[in-house]
Amino acid sequence: MDNIAGSKSSLGWAVNITVLVIVVLWLIPTVGLFVSSFRDRDQISVSGWWQAPFAVDLTFRSRAASEPVQQDGLWIYEGNLFAEDAALAQTFGEGSGEITAFGNRGTQPAAYVAGEEVDLGDGETLLVNSDGTYRFTAAEEPRRPPTVYFEAETPPEFTLDNYRTVLTADNMDLAFINTLTVTIPATVIPILIAAFAAYSLAWMDFPGRGLLIAAVVGLLVVPLQLALVPMLRLHNAIGIGQSFLGIWLAHTAFGMPLAIYLLRNYMVGLPRDIIESAKVDGATDFQVFTKIILPLSFPALAAFAIFQFLWTWNDLLVAKVFLPSDDASKVMTVKIADDLLGSRGGDWGILATAAFVSIAVPLIVFFTMQRYLVRGLLAGSVK
Amino acid sequence: MNPIIAGLVTIVVGVGGCVGYFYLSNLLLDKVIFPARGENISRNINRANAVRPWLFMFPAIFALGLYLVYPVIGSFWRSLYNRAGNEFIGFGNYQALFTSGDFQVAFFNNLLWVLVVPAASTFLGLVIAQLTDRLSWGNIAKSLIFMPMAISFVGASLIWKFVYANDPDIGLINAIRDFFGLGVIDPMLVPFWNNFFLMVILIWIQTGFAMVILSAALRGIPEETVEAAIIDGANPFQIFFRIKVPQIMGTIVVVWTTITILVLKVFDIVYTMTGGEFDTEILPSFMMDYMFRDDGIATAVAFVIMIVVLPVMIWNIVQARRELR
Amino acid sequence: MRRALIAGVATAALSAGMAHAQDLTFPIGEGEFNWQSFDEFSSQNDHSGETLSITGPWTGPDNDLFQSVIDYFEEATGATVNYSGSDSFEQDIVISTEAGSAPNMAVFPQPGLAADLASRGALAPLEDDTANWIAENYAAGESWVDLATFPGPDGQEALYAFPYKIDVKSIVWYVPEAFEEAGYEIPETMEDLKALTEQIVDDGGTPWCVGLGSGAATGWPATDWVEDMMLRVNPPEVYDQWVSNEIPFDDERVVRAIEEYGYFLEDGRVAGGRQAAATTDFRDSPTGLFTFPPECYMLKQATFIPTFFPEGTEVGLDADFFYLPAYESEDLGRPVLGAGTLFAITQDSEVARTFIDFLQTPIAHEIWMAQSGFLTPYGEANPAVFPSDVQRNLNEILTSATTFRFDASDLMPGEIGAGAFWSGMVDYTTGADASEVASSIQQRWDSIQ
Repeated sequence: MDNIAGSKSSLGWAVNITVLVIVVLWLIPTVGLFVSSFRDRDQISVSGWWQAPFAVDLTFRSRAASEPVQQDGLWIYEGNLFAEDAALAQTFGEGSGEITAFGNRGTQPAAYVAGEEVDLGDGETLLVNSDGTYRFTAAEEPRRPPTVYFEAETPPEFTLDNYRTVLTADNMDLAFINTLTVTIPATVIPILIAAFAAYSLAWMDFPGRGLLIAAVVGLLVVPLQLALVPMLRLHNAIGIGQSFLGIWLAHTAFGMPLAIYLLRNYMVGLPRDIIESAKVDGATDFQVFTKIILPLSFPALAAFAIFQFLWTWNDLLVAKVFLPSDDASKVMTVKIADDLLGSRGGDWGILATAAFVSIAVPLIVFFTMQRYLVRGLLAGSVK
Repeated sequence: MNPIIAGLVTIVVGVGGCVGYFYLSNLLLDKVIFPARGENISRNINRANAVRPWLFMFPAIFALGLYLVYPVIGSFWRSLYNRAGNEFIGFGNYQALFTSGDFQVAFFNNLLWVLVVPAASTFLGLVIAQLTDRLSWGNIAKSLIFMPMAISFVGASLIWKFVYANDPDIGLINAIRDFFGLGVIDPMLVPFWNNFFLMVILIWIQTGFAMVILSAALRGIPEETVEAAIIDGANPFQIFFRIKVPQIMGTIVVVWTTITILVLKVFDIVYTMTGGEFDTEILPSFMMDYMFRDDGIATAVAFVIMIVVLPVMIWNIVQARRELR
Repeated sequence: MRRALIAGVATAALSAGMAHAQDLTFPIGEGEFNWQSFDEFSSQNDHSGETLSITGPWTGPDNDLFQSVIDYFEEATGATVNYSGSDSFEQDIVISTEAGSAPNMAVFPQPGLAADLASRGALAPLEDDTANWIAENYAAGESWVDLATFPGPDGQEALYAFPYKIDVKSIVWYVPEAFEEAGYEIPETMEDLKALTEQIVDDGGTPWCVGLGSGAATGWPATDWVEDMMLRVNPPEVYDQWVSNEIPFDDERVVRAIEEYGYFLEDGRVAGGRQAAATTDFRDSPTGLFTFPPECYMLKQATFIPTFFPEGTEVGLDADFFYLPAYESEDLGRPVLGAGTLFAITQDSEVARTFIDFLQTPIAHEIWMAQSGFLTPYGEANPAVFPSDVQRNLNEILTSATTFRFDASDLMPGEIGAGAFWSGMVDYTTGADASEVASSIQQRWDSIQ
């Protein structure tokens, strides 16, 4: 099977490079998210994530915090701009910043080159050195301490604060457990039920089979929003109410058409002779199903499992409707969307982190399942 | 009770209950109701075999009937009533929809989505599946391309904000334009094309799905057919399009259908990126606008969605019928 | 991992147990609070062992603040209150009332939604003397009663909700230092504000930041603009007629208000231009005030916006606000646009009724006032408890108003106020014609009547 890739080395190179380009294109957005999750909101809005690892020139404002000294009829302020302001001191560390330009008006924050003494008029002068030391003199007592704007090379800054906020939010651990409690049964139960139904529809003969298949295909497109309110009403009427049991039932039913559709399509393609010879050997349908069909259908089962797992894991709508809205039963998506984002709507750093935290588990699941997927695929290709 | 233990117990009970149902009911059928012994042995076996499919399908049919068929019928009925739900107006809601400009925009956009997204995702997925097939680092490449599948739609929309934002300090596209000295544009405001920018997000997510399923199908192709073609002197492109693609057509249809269905349900992307403004509305987000306000209109939109996808459904049903014969 | 998780759960359980014995935010009897009202309320009500569930739109810090008010109710009555906040409260409450799983009480940020639920019979009417109490004790009391009075399922009008906590929208945020350096004065009249806008453009600056982006709710900040301008070019009666659609949306008086908003969008007056204004997220819109050189000098946005100022910004020093002034030439007084939340009973119970009584005590207002982000029209609540002058000044805008009107988009039917009006304003902001936009909104309104 030495076809497209490998037969000719030039083509091989082309394939390698093409795939590399595609992978890079696919990764760029996610990398952006990943980098942003380590930056705080202010940084995200002043420089692009692609600039995050580099020092950038940014403008700052500092106010003299010290008292003026009166000397030779002049009022003099002296000090270090980096030290005057706690936030600046934190950004630049102890005196490590390097000022390139400065100014005394917000409209022209970088009017003068560092190290140059400037006459501001009205008997005022200002000198700012690149290490942050400054000297402001005025002929009359200033009404208030002078404000100095400056441009400085800002070191890249990364923070784990976003992760701390997201992971240590009240009851986040509980939300994580709740998500697992919702997701695992909501993935396994529909697979079991659908596998039996798919087998019946694929390999058992009975009147009305074609109609049922058509019905399942038709139900694929039903927007689940239609079912939310009537079903919740039903749950309340029969005493399930808003509970984990309710959400399992809902997820099971909503995932069912796709599960039956995918599994049946796969099972139909399994080699007929294996099944028939097994039946000739006296195996019952139940045995054929458990001993032959299930193992052979592993790739399809795994594919659907991944699909359903991701769907339930990332689901927000169903969880909001079928689970009570108290803290004890919030799942992660609800927790993030309603608690974290509601109160910090514009905090892109938190949003990025939340998105990243919530994909971690699905990714782990995928990478573990992938091995089985491939193994299942090889086993399946015996026909 | 400790939530972890509660969770574990319920998982065991739920899954065990399902397995138990199938095993025990099957046992009951074979051993007690229609035992394969005694004088009626052959009649019993036949009867058991007639009942068994329904036994296997009962939980699925029950769930589908209750959670999907019943609301669909109820909703269809509801869509024939007015806003308050107390006056029968026949197809009045549908009529109102098709005369409304907003709906026409949403309808047209939705057709675009249904045509473009499944086609693009399936095509890209197929090409990537083939290209990575023999690559030594193919699995790594596939995993990376699959990754967006794991991201929630809201998360995905956020990611693309970092690409599309109109501020060159946040959005990558504008940063690149800025770098080349081009003016800042807002991708969400470019008429007509803004729909495609939104579609890119879903294609980005769904290509991974198509790729995984199709690469499984490609591996299932018998080697002999490919070898025979090579001996006949076919070039790689001919092998791919003439030999391989026809053999996995069934899987392609499944993937295509699955993505089409997803397209018709996803409102999150449009909802979070533009809120349906700037002529980017699609039917699912249009429906959400009416949901709980005017259920008559909302349910009517749901049925329009189902009608839009009818061709794909019929295609599938025909396909399934053909297999039956 | 498992062990760590269990430990985490144990700690959570432990801290939940401690929540009961937690300290009240302000010790009873200290400070300038009206403790007498608390003691009186406490001695009259006892609901030990009963529980009350409340849902509302407050999450995060607001959740904690409301919790601090609840603590006093629990302390006074012995009842247990479970409050859960949700960012998509509007959707949740509709679903839960439809499904019959509603909590005891709900806090509505939009009177329109409460009216809708009242007409479906999902809310229990409040007692008649509550209406009298509001009329007598709230500033502009009658207008509050009107606001919370809706027709029930039988068409009978009754007071269904209790207004509590108010936001003022008629304010403009600016950076005092930027104004000072450029020599700009706080405008006292709309004429001055327009002159200032033009002066800033002449000086080579950009006067305004506007951001309409808000996901599915994109466009709402522009509706605030139009409503504020509406109150500045038309008498309040016209505003009321507009809200109830007694005059059509495309009436020339409404179109004029939209065009008044349009004045601030014209070339060079808004940072990034009209297109950018429509897509910039409202949460990102304050950023431009704080850059050097400033991307813009002014931002009109409600009282909550400082949450989205850059970290470490001190309101009153680094940023400040002024009242969006009225036209000197129009003689319409000092109109103020606001919004607020309304408490309604979704599952009737004794405790829920008592909670409404509790909201009528000064202490229920003062506890939140003394922390942050709370304004009230209740005269008995002591302004001395406000933690800062900024808060006091804001409340001052509220109390010195000659006209107070509630956010129109919250009062209009959902399809308009949370739909067509939003989209229409987005279209207008990106360049559509005001009267065309207005008539398309009116068409939508016609279609739902």
